[in-house]
Amino acid sequence: MLKSMKPSLLRIFWLARLTFLEAVRQRFFAFLIVLGAAMVLSSFAFRFLDFGHGELKFIADFGFGGLFFFGSILALVMTAQLLFAEIDNRTALTLLAKPVSRTEFLLGKFAGIWIVLGLFVFVLSTLLGVMLWGRWQELVILAEQTAKVAPQFSLEGVFSHALLQWFRLGVVTSMVLLISTIARTFLFAVVVGAMTIVAGQLQWLAQEALFKPAELNPFSHALLWLASRLLPNLQQFNIGDALALDPSAVATGAVSAAILSGGFYLIAYLFLASLTFQRREI
Amino acid sequence: MSANSAISVQGLTKDFRVGIRGLKLRAVDNLCLEIPRGQVFGLLGPNGCGKSTTLKIILGLVAPTSGKISILGYPSATSSARQRTGFLPEAPYFHKFLTGRELVRYCARLSGVAPSQLDSAVEEALALASMSEAGNRTIATYSKGMLQRIGFAQAIVHDPELVILDEPTAGVDPVGSAAIGKMIHSMRDKGKTVVLCSHLLGQVEQVCDRIAIMDRGRLVLEGRVDEVLARRDKHVITVEHLTPAAQAAAEAALQAQGAHVTSITHPRRSLEDLFRELVTGSRDA
Ligand SMILES: Nc1ncnc2c1ncn2[C@@H]1O[C@H](COP(=O)(O)OP(=O)(O)OP(=O)(O)O)[C@@H](O)[C@H]1O
Ligand SMILES: [Mg+2]
Repeated sequence: MLKSMKPSLLRIFWLARLTFLEAVRQRFFAFLIVLGAAMVLSSFAFRFLDFGHGELKFIADFGFGGLFFFGSILALVMTAQLLFAEIDNRTALTLLAKPVSRTEFLLGKFAGIWIVLGLFVFVLSTLLGVMLWGRWQELVILAEQTAKVAPQFSLEGVFSHALLQWFRLGVVTSMVLLISTIARTFLFAVVVGAMTIVAGQLQWLAQEALFKPAELNPFSHALLWLASRLLPNLQQFNIGDALALDPSAVATGAVSAAILSGGFYLIAYLFLASLTFQRREI
Repeated sequence: MSANSAISVQGLTKDFRVGIRGLKLRAVDNLCLEIPRGQVFGLLGPNGCGKSTTLKIILGLVAPTSGKISILGYPSATSSARQRTGFLPEAPYFHKFLTGRELVRYCARLSGVAPSQLDSAVEEALALASMSEAGNRTIATYSKGMLQRIGFAQAIVHDPELVILDEPTAGVDPVGSAAIGKMIHSMRDKGKTVVLCSHLLGQVEQVCDRIAIMDRGRLVLEGRVDEVLARRDKHVITVEHLTPAAQAAAEAALQAQGAHVTSITHPRRSLEDLFRELVTGSRDA
């Protein structure tokens, strides 16, 4: 089984490498990583504002927010752009005339993009982790001098959050890939992609509403139920400040639950994308 | 469907839906073709008659509306068929941040060339397309002719049995297209089948063994080039130092035998021959 899959995996690997090279050479990637880094670093200014105990929380919120926001934009635009560029420039024609199946082509694209996003998340999280850790050390010393309670901080939490965000961006990428295989134009894919990301971010609202069925008529109940099944709950990945600053507040199993349900949607979206891509005229 | 055919197309029809109302545009209309192995086959026709569409369907890049196709005995669009086929798309465009050599390497890997043979296969393909030197430059810097030649190199790097070229000489100067003609012949000499589309009829006539002509998606003619073109009822005699007296004598002698001279003109060399005599070659070569 594994042996017969080896050539296929190799092809996916080479396609992923090609996608990775293409993506990291784009100015857009460099631009967003610089913007994200600037946002993380700018929270450095807050130390002069004397937030006292809330300062770490402020830095963390700002940094995680930047990672979340620019990461989402990168995943959305880069995924749609790379797929449409490949089709519009007819480079896909050359690749698909090789013994490369369309599923392998899509999986290669996905893997290449996901690795780029991993790089993005890793660089920004490391930067944020270093900043938080440095400020935390200062605050601990300060607290000792003034005999106050020192704030809590977990560097490990920053990296668990990085892993979660990387997974979240993987789910977003597979979602945008699916939309891009159906959409005719880049713009349409980006607009619909952005709307689905926002909807995924708000999906927990639909889930909560479902717990109070008394307030719903059957039709909206059915609609909400469908929407909450079609879309992943993207909000469950955003527990960065809790993971980093107050690990005791994180419910046990929250990280693995998010990864498990995210992984389910990721695989389902990729599967559907490969089905719709089979019929697409190149 | 004979097993000897490199490509067998039966009853191929393709309708495109155009516009929002989904009007149908018939690009290929009930096309039947048998392309024998080991020959150079030319597909001709005016713009928009469905040549590129036919080639894309043969390669499995576009799904036919109806019809049956097989490549080298395999159903098209299977991995085994593509492993044995090389394709140069029309107006090719490649990832421009790669160098020519990197592109050919990528294509070799995707086509399943064994790692031990990778280097030699890549260099051989580049040499055949005379792109060995230019192979170190990024594709963004290539001229049209170089794009065509690197496209040729990526199509043949895995030593395919069947090579499909969509307008390989579009935008290439006559010296370059003569070089491409030579590459095509060297492929045939190795026993490969070459299928090409072109609007340069003069070149098609020189390069191809067989041709097919399409018009509005239909096949209007198919056959061996020399059979299709020969006019068996007329002959050409080329003469040097023809004086008026000699001409009169020759005409009289022919008339005496019942033959009839219909015209006497100077043979013209083709513009292409003149061009190639005067010009040494492209700077890219
Ligand atoms: N994706 C498509 N959608 C709609 N119509 C298409 C599509 N591709 C091709 N056509 C139409 O099908 C017809 C045949 O096109 P094709 O590209 O096969 O012509 P061709 O013979 O290769 O022409 P040329 O010599 O200009 O390259 C044209 O009328 C074209 O407009
Ligand atoms: Mg064409």
